[in-house]
Amino acid sequence: MSKDYVQQPGSNSDVRVDGKRVAGKLRFNPPGSGGSRPEMAERDMEFIPELQGGNEAQPAGAHSHDKYRTGTTVGKRTPLVDAKAKVTGQAWYGDDVRLANELIGRIVRSPHHHARVKSIDTSKAEALPGVIAVSTGADAPNKFGVLPVTKDEHAMAVEKVRHVGDLVACVAAIDEETAREAASLIEVDYEVLESVHDAKKGLQDVDDPIHWRGKYHIGSTNIQKRVFQEFGDRSNLEDSHASYSGKWKFMGVNHGFTEPHAVVAHWDSNGRLQLYTPQQVPHYAHRALATVLEVPMHQVNVIRTFVGGGFGGKSDPFPHEMCAAILARKAGRPVRITFDREEVFWVNRGRHPSNIEIKMHADDEGKISGLDIDALIDGGGFASFGHVTSYYNGVLATAPYELGSFHYTGARVWTNKPASGAMRGHGAVNTRCALEVGLDDMAEKMQVDPIDLRLANLLPPHSKTITGFRITSNGMRQALERVREGSNWDEKFRKMPLGKGIGIGCGFFISGSGLPIHWDPNNFPHATVHIQIDMDGGVTVHTGAADIGQGSTTAVAQVVAEVLALPLELVHVRSHESDTSPVDLGSYSSRVTFMNANAAISAALDIREKLLDAASEILSTPSEYLILNDRRIYNKRDPAEGISYLDALHKSQEDKGALIASGAYRTPPMGGVHKGAAAGLAPAYSFSAYVAEVEVDVEMGLIKCTDVWAAHDCGKALNPLAVEGQIIGSCHMGLGQVLSEQMVYGRTGHLQNPNLLEYKIPSVHEMPNVTPIIIESCDPEGPFGAKEAGEGPLLPILPAVVNAVYDAIGIRINELPLTPDKVWAAIAKKMKLENIADANDLPTPRLDFSELQEKLLQRSSEHAKRDVLRQRSEDTNPYINGVLFGFDPNIPPEEQDGGWKISVRPDSDQIENLGLAGSAWTKVEQRHMGGEN
Amino acid sequence: MVGEEHVSMIPAAPSKVWSAEVNGQPQEVLSPSNAILLDVLRDKVGCLGVKRGCDMGTCGCCAVLVDGEPRLSCLTMAQDANGCSITTVEGLADGAHLAPIQQCFADHGGSQCGFCTPGFLITSQALLDKNPNPSDEQVACAIEGNLCRCTGYQQIIESIQAAAAINRGESDLAAPSSDAHPDPHPSGPD
Ligand code: FES
Ligand code: FES
Repeated sequence: MSKDYVQQPGSNSDVRVDGKRVAGKLRFNPPGSGGSRPEMAERDMEFIPELQGGNEAQPAGAHSHDKYRTGTTVGKRTPLVDAKAKVTGQAWYGDDVRLANELIGRIVRSPHHHARVKSIDTSKAEALPGVIAVSTGADAPNKFGVLPVTKDEHAMAVEKVRHVGDLVACVAAIDEETAREAASLIEVDYEVLESVHDAKKGLQDVDDPIHWRGKYHIGSTNIQKRVFQEFGDRSNLEDSHASYSGKWKFMGVNHGFTEPHAVVAHWDSNGRLQLYTPQQVPHYAHRALATVLEVPMHQVNVIRTFVGGGFGGKSDPFPHEMCAAILARKAGRPVRITFDREEVFWVNRGRHPSNIEIKMHADDEGKISGLDIDALIDGGGFASFGHVTSYYNGVLATAPYELGSFHYTGARVWTNKPASGAMRGHGAVNTRCALEVGLDDMAEKMQVDPIDLRLANLLPPHSKTITGFRITSNGMRQALERVREGSNWDEKFRKMPLGKGIGIGCGFFISGSGLPIHWDPNNFPHATVHIQIDMDGGVTVHTGAADIGQGSTTAVAQVVAEVLALPLELVHVRSHESDTSPVDLGSYSSRVTFMNANAAISAALDIREKLLDAASEILSTPSEYLILNDRRIYNKRDPAEGISYLDALHKSQEDKGALIASGAYRTPPMGGVHKGAAAGLAPAYSFSAYVAEVEVDVEMGLIKCTDVWAAHDCGKALNPLAVEGQIIGSCHMGLGQVLSEQMVYGRTGHLQNPNLLEYKIPSVHEMPNVTPIIIESCDPEGPFGAKEAGEGPLLPILPAVVNAVYDAIGIRINELPLTPDKVWAAIAKKMKLENIADANDLPTPRLDFSELQEKLLQRSSEHAKRDVLRQRSEDTNPYINGVLFGFDPNIPPEEQDGGWKISVRPDSDQIENLGLAGSAWTKVEQRHMGGEN
Repeated sequence: MVGEEHVSMIPAAPSKVWSAEVNGQPQEVLSPSNAILLDVLRDKVGCLGVKRGCDMGTCGCCAVLVDGEPRLSCLTMAQDANGCSITTVEGLADGAHLAPIQQCFADHGGSQCGFCTPGFLITSQALLDKNPNPSDEQVACAIEGNLCRCTGYQQIIESIQAAAAINRGESDLAAPSSDAHPDPHPSGPD
C-alpha cells in the first residue's frame, strides 16, 4: 500500500484510493478460470533448468525432479507463508493459547543438586483457597525419554532429584499469585546426597550413581554411554611428517530461543487430551505422554503451537508437558504452564560441556594419515539425546577430508547439572572446531596454505567415508574456492598487521538421520505427507513437519505449488495437529526439507498424474505432450489448446470427489554393519566453508569479528531467502559460542547465569558483516536437489574465528568462549615467556611456503577435475576413503592391508592407553561382574 | 521455586482501575495496583502479540509504544502508563493492510520464528517515525535492546531499511527481487 493510503470513510466501494482492493471484499473467482487475473502467467524460464529448455544454469548436472519444475516458486526468494501471522501479532505461541476456565500451573523445583526425596507434604498447598490440583511424582511413575534406549526421566521426581531445578511437584490454581504461593507451601523432606559436577569425576565409581541401569550399568560410575571406534592402519603414525595435539575445553551453551517453554493441557468433553505445546518433535511428546499418562496414543491430540525458536531445545518430550496434563486431568479444567526464563535454563538440553583431545598426523605429502579424537561430554542429569551425541562427537569428523586412519573414544557422563541434549549442529560442533584448528596448525607446521591443505585432501562427490557413510553430492571444493575468492584470502592471510587476522573453517553435517529411532525403516517411512484438493481448487497439505521458524511449512508449500504449477496462495499447509497430520519425526537433525519435501513431492506427483490424465482425456492429447503452468494445462506444441486447472480437477473428481494423495519418504539402505554404524548415517550431507576476519585489541583481549564469508552447500536452495537467513542466523549462534556464551557453574555447582543478562547472546553490535554464499551441488536424492541448511552452517564459524585470532596475534586458545579475560591472560603469558614488554610488540605469524605447497596445489587441481566428473556422474567408478592412500576402491581395505582394522571395542592391551574419555573402558559392565541380571 | 525464600504472593495487591487508549481503542480494566504493563496488556486487554521473553528487560520482545515512545512493558508499571496512548504490534496495521514495516519484515526475512518480531517492529517503527532516513549504524543502535536468536539481525536491518525507503516514497511495496508471490487477486478487470 502506498504511504498516503487512507481508507475512504464510510465508503462502500471495494476499491481503495490507491486503486487496490479492500481486504475482505476480494471476489474470489474460481482459480482455474484465472481468478481476477484472467491471463495465465508466462512460464518463468529463469527458473526452469537448462536441461529442460529453461535458463537456469545447472553446473552440477541434471536432477530426476527437473522435469517437474514449472518455474513457479522453487529457487525464488519466497517470504515465509506464515510471515504475515508473525508480523501482525497473530501467531499463537505456547503462552498465547488461552482456553476458557483455565488454571495456572507452577512447578516446584529442587533446591538440591542430588537428593533423595523422603516425603512430600502438600497439605498446606492444598488447603490454600484457589488451589485446585496438586500433583507429585507418585501420580506418574512411568519413565520416558526421547530415545527409546535411554528412558530415564519422570514427570516429577519419583525417588531422587538430580539437579537444582529438577521437578518435584506441581500445582494448579486460579491465578499466578496463588499458584506461586501454593508451590512455595509444598514441603519436601530431602536427604541430600553427594553430587557430581565435574565430568571427569563422572568417570569414577561412586556409592550412589545418579542413575542406575541395572546389568548394563558401567561399574558404579556415572558413565551413561561410551563409544570406541577404530578404523584404518595406525601402525606408522609415530613417524609422521607433521602432527597436532590439542586439549580443548568447551563450556556448555544454551539454545537461547526467545520463547520460553509453555504448555496448555486440556482434557476435552470426550476425555481426550488436547495438549498445546511449542514442540519441534510433537510425535515424541505424543508417545511419551501416552506412556506417562497411561492412555492410548489415539486419545491424545498434540497441537503444535507456533514455536518461538527451537534449535534442538524443544525436541525432547518434557516433564512439564506431563505435569500440565496431570494437573488438568485432576482439576478437570485446562491448565497453562509458562516458564520463567530461569526455568528454561533448568531444563536446558543445550550443547554439552566437553573436554576434547584431538591428535592429527600428516604424512610428507600432506595427507591426513591419522585422526584421533577423545571426547568426554558432560550430560547433566538425564540422557536426553546423549546416546547419539556420544557418537556424533567422533563420527561427524570423518569428512570432508580423506583420512588414513580414524580413532575415536567418547564418553558421556551424568552429572548433577541441568541436562545437556541436542543443539543446532548436534554433537558435531565442538570436535569440528578442534579439528579445523588442528588442520590450521598442521598447515603452519608444514608451511602450506591451510585452504590448499584442505583442497588437496577432500573426499570427492559420490564416495564413502572411512566409517562407511555414503557421500552423495559434495560442494566442499566450490565452497572453499568461493570464500577464498570472496574474502580476498591470498592478499590477507598471514599478511595483516598485529591485531588483524583472517581464518578458515569448514563444516560437514547430516541432512536427516538415516534411521528413524522408533521404528524399523523398512516397516514405516520417515515422513508422510497427505494432499487433498476439493472442488474449490484449494490444495490442503497435511504434514507433521514442525515449523520452528526455519520455514519448513513454506518449503512444503513451495514444492507442492511447484509440481502442480499453482500460486502459493492456493496451497494451505496444515501441520499443527497430530489428529490431522500423518506421523512425522519432527524438526531435528536437519531432516525436514530433505524428507518432508520429498514426501510432499511424491504426493504432489500423484495428484499431477490424475490431473494430467483428466486433461488428456478432455483434450484427447497424450499426457506426455501436456504442460502444467499457472492454473492451466496445455499442449506444449500449441499452447492455445488447453484447459484450466479447475476443469481438469473437476473431471478427475467425477467418480471419487476430492482428490487425495499420500506420499512418503524412506531412506535407501546404506551404511556399514559395525556397532554404531547407524549413528551419523544420513541420506545426504551438507558441506560448508567460512572465512572470518577479526580484530583483536591486544591490550584488552577483546575480539571483534568484523566480516564473515559464509559458503554453504545446501544442494539446491528451494528458497534462497530462507537459506541465507539460516546461514546468517547460524553464524550468529556460533559466534555466541566462540566469543561470549557460556553456562557458568560456580564453586558450589550452582548455575550462576540462568538469565539473558548474564548469559551473553550477541546483540546486533557484535554481529559481523556476513556474506552468505549458496553452493548448489544438486543432491541426487534431495527434493529438487536440496539438502539441509539449518545446522551445518553453524559449524565453521567457531574454528574460523579461532584461526583468525591466531592469525591476528599468534596465539591459539583451546578454551571457548574466547572472552577478553582469557585472551588477555594468554597474551600476558606469552609476553612473559618471550620477554615482551608491550603487547603491541607481539610477533604475528608469517608464512613462507615449503615445497609441499606446490605438491598440494598440483594434487588439488587434479582432484578438482576428478570432482567435476564425479559430480556430473560422468565418472561413476566407486570411490572410498583410502583411495588417496593407494587403496583399490573395489576391494574392502581390510582385505588389502593386514594392518587395517575395524574395531568397536578396545583390545585388552589398548585399554590402559586410551585418553580421558577412553578411560571409561577400564570399567566393567555389571553383567560381567555378576551384578544384577 | 528454588531455594528457601518465601515471599508471600497473596493476597495480591488491591485492584485498581487502569485505563488507557490501546491501539486507538479506549480500554478500562481492573488490575492489581502493582501489575506490570506487560501482564495487563496480555492478560486483561488481550494483546497477546506483546511477547514475554525474559521479564527483566533483556530481550525486547515486550516492547510497546507508550505515547509514541518505545518502552519495555515488562519494566513498566501499568499504573505509569495510565491514561497514555499505547500501540502494540496489533496496532501497526491499517485494518487488514500491513504497515510497510510489517510487510518488509515478512518479505525480507526479518522474521523467522517470529517471537522477537513484535518487539522489533515496535522499536523500528519508533525509529522510522523520528528518523525517516536512518543509517545502518542508527538502525543498529535503535534495535540494540532487542534480541533475535534466529536471524542474526542482518535481514532485520535490511527489512527496516526497505520500509524506510517505502515510507520516503522511494520504492513501492514490492516483493523481493523475484516475484514469488504472484498476487492472484490484484486489482484490475475481473
Ligand atoms: S520480556 Fe521485557 S525485555 Fe524481555
Ligand atoms: S525471529 Fe526468532 S528470535 Fe527473532
